[in-house]
Amino acid sequence: MRLPRGLIVAMILMAAVIIQTTLFGQLRIVSPDLVMLFVILLALTRIRSELVLGTAFLSGLLVDLLGSSLLGLRAVVFTVVAYIALRTRERAEIGRLATALWAGLLSLLGVLLLVLIGTLFGQSSLLGPDIVNRILIVPLANLIVAALFAPLFVRLVDGDTTALRFS
Amino acid sequence: MLNNEPRGRILPTLVTLLVVGILLMTFDVRLEGGGVVGVLRTGTQTLVSPLQKGAAVVVNPVADMVDSLSNMAGLREENAALRSENAELLASIILVQDQLARLELLEQLYDLEAAGDELGRTVANVIGRPDAFDAALIINKGTSDGVAVGQPVVDTNGYVVGTVKNVTGGSATIVPITANRQALTVVVGDQIGTLLSVVGSRDMRLEVLDARDPVLSGDRVLTSAVSANYPAGLPVGVVVEDAAPSIDSLRSLVDPYVDPDTLRLVVVLAWPPDPVTVTQDDTVIPIESTTTTEDTTSTTLPGDG
Repeated sequence: MRLPRGLIVAMILMAAVIIQTTLFGQLRIVSPDLVMLFVILLALTRIRSELVLGTAFLSGLLVDLLGSSLLGLRAVVFTVVAYIALRTRERAEIGRLATALWAGLLSLLGVLLLVLIGTLFGQSSLLGPDIVNRILIVPLANLIVAALFAPLFVRLVDGDTTALRFS
Repeated sequence: MLNNEPRGRILPTLVTLLVVGILLMTFDVRLEGGGVVGVLRTGTQTLVSPLQKGAAVVVNPVADMVDSLSNMAGLREENAALRSENAELLASIILVQDQLARLELLEQLYDLEAAGDELGRTVANVIGRPDAFDAALIINKGTSDGVAVGQPVVDTNGYVVGTVKNVTGGSATIVPITANRQALTVVVGDQIGTLLSVVGSRDMRLEVLDARDPVLSGDRVLTSAVSANYPAGLPVGVVVEDAAPSIDSLRSLVDPYVDPDTLRLVVVLAWPPDPVTVTQDDTVIPIESTTTTEDTTSTTLPGDG
């Protein structure tokens, strides 16, 4: 028996939030943004686009609520990233490397937007001491995680074992 | 380059969500994190913190192991330095024990009583951080352990870390001073000034209005008695560049003692002191509670302050 897709998505989102805030919260040298990556990879599934945007918004809101920065900041950023992911997802379906590069580039766009919008709204604390490193490391880490887990994620959400099987 | 499939309701959905998001941000800025936003944060953290605490049990040893592996080269040198420091500290402890014994004797001789100025302290583990761009720390102690919003937080050496921003029954969020938009009132020598975070830097900017004397590199910066958020005399950092008064103010940079990224254990201080409850006949009674957990102890003493 297969679990409802909504439940699977919610469970993966919660797992991403917990792993990000605990494990990767402690390991500052390796810090992917798992929730942003979750939002990006959701665009590769067969979930309706409007629902992907809604899920992206709620995922961002959840991270905002768990942190100390501005409420709605990540919600806006993740929604924009999800929209661009939906518009460009065909580029990611070429192969595993393309998927990883696509996810990495979207993550880079996401962190740049986060810093830009955050700064406009007075969140100067986002620009911490090693901001350049973080702007580069987060997308790079997301790229690696996407290369490893993107096909598995899509198959799990869609319940289709043939999804993203690159020849 | 872009996917040209019929977009249906995607664009209206995007615009609606962006408008809602911007409204939320504006709302949060206006409310300064309080009101409905504070309630929402507390509610969400209450739901998620048990999962985070559970995960932390598994994750912390893994994180420690990875940290150790990544710092393998420096561990030998650090061990040697710690051994040497340990020997010095043992000598200091013996000296302090002698002084304490002498103090106790003098107190007995002059019939003195302790002033009772110990602060309640709640030791807590750092169980996580929201993400790579949010400097806040999540700790495993909350209101049930005596932690309250606004209380100051120090590390195990007593150096200032920050303040409690949000608190749930079993967890709390700490905002480090380096990420706080509010200035911290400090004292350097006998001059009172403010410390503000600097964008893109670990150092903090010290501003002393009504400055009379220069500040020198190496001067210690402590919390001021004027500060409403911190008890006086907590070490904050050290001045890193000399500065002389220009007309009647001076500016310098301060290197905080604490790097929030490396913290695993913090101490929440019961400040402001004297948490009180008012009984039906308006008699003020100090709250007294002591709880002990597996790895940490939290105590709130009566008559703090």
